[in-house]
Amino acid sequence: MALARHEKRRAWQLRLILAPSALLLLALYIYPALYSVYLSFTNEALVGRAAANPSFVGLRNYMRLFSDAGFWNSLWVTLIFVIGSAVIGQFVLGLVSALILRQRVRFRQIFNAIILLPNAVPEVVVGFMWIAMFVGGHRAVLNKVLEPLGIAPVEWLQTMPLLAIIIVNTWRGIATAMILMTAGLSSISSEVYEAARMDGATRWQIFRRITMPLLMPTVFLYMLVSTASTMAIFGVIYALTRGGPGGATELISIYIYNQSFAAFQIGYGAAGAVMALLLSIIIGIIYVRTMKVEV
Amino acid sequence: MSGLSLPEKQNAGAGAYVILLLISVYCLVPFAWLIIASFDSNPTQFIRWPTEWTVQNYTRIFTDEDGGRWLINSLVVVGGATLLVVVLAGLGGYALSRITAWWKLPFLYLILLVRVLPHTALIVPLYKVLLTANRGIESVTVNLFGARAAREIMRYIGLIDSYLGLIVVLAAMQLPLALWIMKTFFDGVSREYEEAAIMDGANMIQRVRRVLVPLAMPGLAAAGLFSFIFAWGDFLTPLIFTSSPELQMLPLGLFRAFLRVNSIDYGLLAALALVYLLPSVIAFAFARKFLVRTFSGGVKG
Repeated sequence: MALARHEKRRAWQLRLILAPSALLLLALYIYPALYSVYLSFTNEALVGRAAANPSFVGLRNYMRLFSDAGFWNSLWVTLIFVIGSAVIGQFVLGLVSALILRQRVRFRQIFNAIILLPNAVPEVVVGFMWIAMFVGGHRAVLNKVLEPLGIAPVEWLQTMPLLAIIIVNTWRGIATAMILMTAGLSSISSEVYEAARMDGATRWQIFRRITMPLLMPTVFLYMLVSTASTMAIFGVIYALTRGGPGGATELISIYIYNQSFAAFQIGYGAAGAVMALLLSIIIGIIYVRTMKVEV
Repeated sequence: MSGLSLPEKQNAGAGAYVILLLISVYCLVPFAWLIIASFDSNPTQFIRWPTEWTVQNYTRIFTDEDGGRWLINSLVVVGGATLLVVVLAGLGGYALSRITAWWKLPFLYLILLVRVLPHTALIVPLYKVLLTANRGIESVTVNLFGARAAREIMRYIGLIDSYLGLIVVLAAMQLPLALWIMKTFFDGVSREYEEAAIMDGANMIQRVRRVLVPLAMPGLAAAGLFSFIFAWGDFLTPLIFTSSPELQMLPLGLFRAFLRVNSIDYGLLAALALVYLLPSVIAFAFARKFLVRTFSGGVKG
């Protein structure tokens, strides 16, 4: 009897200490998210007639979105950006680093720290650092570094801006991939390797037939997390290019920002955000379904 | 190579070192430029060995610009947000770990899902929420202290263009991840400790202070460090939610200094960027071991 009363009191105490977090999230996160879904069905604006008197416009924002070349462009830019930086760049370099650093390597701690370092850099500083790398024609730092490799100098932010922001975001995220892959690799039992070695398997065979299949759950988890978080990137690229030149690096988040705050069309921008959210959810479901990961 | 050696015991070959060196160069070149330029008396955007070294770029942050204030603002706001997150996530994460209710999983997934929504979409509704709350607080303060005193007081307890507003917004943005970290952490802490304390007749507050906080220290440290690093690097929140120069934080100070296109002062900017960079690198150095543990927890379920 006393125990039951105690259990009941305890349940209430637990709810009580969760309440501040729940309220804060509800007020500043969940409610605004739902409200922006609502806004996407209105002609809310920051200036003009609609600002004083916003009204319900049904699906008009969405229809306009689908016929707007700028929106499709931003989806395309986002897709290439996600594939180039998260799915290929960060993943390949992170996996390679993880595979090498689990061998016996001199100065392992130093290499580890070097790869982790870019991850700690604030968004605006990333933009500033890399502008200095890209800009300046044949004298630009990146061109100087690539010169010995026989790569001709280019004006990165003008001629290949999308590749430029992929290089920056890859630089920033190798560490995350490396950490996840290291964790995944360390959970593969060493006995499996030993057995394979006994059977005379080569290094490449071991990698293809043992490491990769057993690492797959980790890879899929990484893909899920990194795709979702890369789609929402704003600060780094905005500080670097502000979406330019001519929309070439206008990610979906920057498109939403520009529509909402440069063009002052809040409702329209919100419709873009809802589409971005739907897309993330769909991609998430596809990952989970096709790869049968447990999340 | 003997058949008994495990893969992690293999010596890395020359090819492996070449690859590692290339990746390291990729990671380090931007830093090299930044550090050299910040000590160069006549810096450019191009990498070169300075003819004359100087620390003037650093002193000018505090004399020519209002860098000291930006730094203090950043420390106050991000520090405050981190503290708030640690307290809320410590309590909330514990509750989420122990509660048995139907809404627990939906709640956890909901806060994860909202994170995926581009933050640029949340700003307008968020601003409206803050504005409404701010009006409420303002009318109460005006009634209590009169209009003149209220203006001073609102600087501290107001939500628009104020420290408190920035702190709660940044805290709310870091809270979902911190709640997840703490919930996962407490899942791994056996209930036996608490049950023993209950048997000893300890009440809720005693249990929290004597048993849970000491046990939770590693989790709290991880949640706090991550919140600090992400909030410290965040650019959108100060960009949108501050207008008065007294509240300007480091990211905006740097961004605005950089936008003065015709007179970009690379030395000053590089020094400022390094000052801004340093606290998060230090936090990151501490966070490293937690980083591995947190993520591997995710991998192993």
